[in-house]
Amino acid sequence: MAEAAQQQETTDEDLVARTQDGDPRAFDELVRKYSPRLYGLVYNMTSNHEDTNDLLQDIFSKAYRSIRGFRGKSSFYTWLHTIGTNMTINFLKKRSRNHHMSLDDVDGNVQRDPEFIELTSGPDARREVNLKELQQRLNEAMMKLSNEHRIVVTMFDIQGMPHAEIGKILGISEGTVRSRLFYAHRQLQNYLQEFLTA
Amino acid sequence: MNQDIHKLLRLKRYEHPTPDYIERFLDKFHERQRADLLKQPSLASLWERIVSAFPDFHVPRLAYAGVAAAAVVFSAVILATHQTETAPGPTLALNAPNPTVNVMPAGRGDVRLPVSSRSDFPPHYVLEARPVSYESPYSF
Repeated sequence: MAEAAQQQETTDEDLVARTQDGDPRAFDELVRKYSPRLYGLVYNMTSNHEDTNDLLQDIFSKAYRSIRGFRGKSSFYTWLHTIGTNMTINFLKKRSRNHHMSLDDVDGNVQRDPEFIELTSGPDARREVNLKELQQRLNEAMMKLSNEHRIVVTMFDIQGMPHAEIGKILGISEGTVRSRLFYAHRQLQNYLQEFLTA
Repeated sequence: MNQDIHKLLRLKRYEHPTPDYIERFLDKFHERQRADLLKQPSLASLWERIVSAFPDFHVPRLAYAGVAAAAVVFSAVILATHQTETAPGPTLALNAPNPTVNVMPAGRGDVRLPVSSRSDFPPHYVLEARPVSYESPYSF
């Protein structure tokens, strides 16, 4: 496991070094590798696929322009996510409140997910819900959170990042990450009460 | 309860783009890179490149205050030097022609200046007042 992680890190370092030497194909590899994860981060912050697509272009362009300054003090993953987070939060500050949510593109596999089955049709389920309704309610609940609470929920609950990594990316302590998560979960409980088991 | 929220939110990981999205994204990204190359680098992107080339460089917090203070001192020195050069000193005042203010006496609409009677000079006016420099500086 540690060896695989080391291998991955070496590969990133190699790709970064090649990009810094002027090989654009190396950067393409980095885009292929990190765009799905970064897409998830930005999409769960904006709840809109078009905005996510535009922002992702901006994020990778900025990363490409700035990569000569990357000295490897953190992992490329952390560095890229820091750029992504800052640009997304700046975008959200400027975006008007009248935006629409995109509700398509849900992977059909979600309906076979044991957690989804348990939540929607298990013996403890409070009520039956369809996928679209659940997605809409989850997105609405997420958008009711402040940007700083939504980002920690996205990173921890949806993307499965550890507290320490989130702290590094956002430039805050682990304690602050935990307290923001606690507060955000408490708010989400109120918004999503009907989907939670008693 | 927190665990339930966590499980519910985990379902959002299924919201992701279609598999061909990444290649389409890369095509668009290359297009954009080419367009950026054709454009003249703006001041903003130039600054961005400078900053990214020196990631450890941070402007010290008090540097702006220092620069502002230096600018104020510099302006004050320039202003003081300028005033010293242009202000008439006591010596200059002696040589400079005195500004005369003619106040017309009430009831006298016609003021004539005395004209010299000498014939070897073309007609010219004689000022009643002597130049200041003709006066003896030590007239007690």
